[in-house]
Amino acid sequence: MKRKKVLKIVAILGVAGILIAGGIGLYMFNMPHRDVQSADADYTLTASEIVSEYFTDNEAANKKYLAADGDSKILEITGVVSKISEDFSGQKVVLLKGEQVKAGVSATFTSETNSSLDNVQIDQKITIKGVIRSGASYDDDLEMYEHVIIEKSDIVLK
Amino acid sequence: MTVAVYGQTSEKLVSSKSNIKFFSTTPAEDIEANNTASVSTINIESGEVVFSVPMQGFEFEKSLMQKHYNSDKFLDTKTHPKAKLKATILNLDQVNFSEDGSYSADVEGELTIKDVTKPIREKGTITVKGNQIALNSIFNITLADFQITFAKGKPSSNIAKKLEITVEAEYEQN
Repeated sequence: MKRKKVLKIVAILGVAGILIAGGIGLYMFNMPHRDVQSADADYTLTASEIVSEYFTDNEAANKKYLAADGDSKILEITGVVSKISEDFSGQKVVLLKGEQVKAGVSATFTSETNSSLDNVQIDQKITIKGVIRSGASYDDDLEMYEHVIIEKSDIVLK
Repeated sequence: MTVAVYGQTSEKLVSSKSNIKFFSTTPAEDIEANNTASVSTINIESGEVVFSVPMQGFEFEKSLMQKHYNSDKFLDTKTHPKAKLKATILNLDQVNFSEDGSYSADVEGELTIKDVTKPIREKGTITVKGNQIALNSIFNITLADFQITFAKGKPSSNIAKKLEITVEAEYEQN
């Protein structure tokens, strides 16, 4: 009788363990992407500041801003709009130019945030928030300055 | 305006409208990722084609896959944030950038991923329509060529050893 009870408890614990492990596995597998816009910005800076930081020491800037798992720093960047275009999948891209620097910040919006740019005009000063993907540098092969790339962007109203 | 800012010559067309997709298929699962943040140039005089790809810009359906991909065990995108394709169109004389049409292009050059450079030779299609130039290419890369390997774990069984890469880019000429 006692032996049966012990077996029953072991069986219940075993099933519970399997369910918990399975649940964690399922959660990991279906883990949602980080919601950049609902998270707080890690750094607040101007377009010129981040570009200068990359020009001064590219490696140090990458260490500071990029994360090993791809969930890199969320930045709030202020700059003057010099161009608004669209990428291959119809997401709007805003180029923020800083002062006295040759590159800028290219901020890609999303299908949900595209409309935030409806009333934004060239030469307007705006602040955006998004996740950094790569830094600014001069590329010898492109023969161009590459901008800091920000994605998942939206406008920050001040 | 852009021409003056970047000091480009008029033969060099710039594209910031591109999509690079990679596709992996194994019995376990199909994995696809897309990147629309690359910058590309094509020099219609010399035939040189360049792509600079921000590696953290690849978007996966599943967050966990994206984390695996970026990690130091796979692409190590924190240490190597960009990949580069630098190639030349070999049969440039058969591509007429001023006449509408679809031209087959033989492209030869180098692909650098994770600081490992390998020669590539692939076929692509250049489509000219007015002042719009489109470049399309589908080719395979072997991960082991770029020293991207998995010793163990789920990624080693769920990611194909060969990936199919699809490149699409749109350029505008003056």
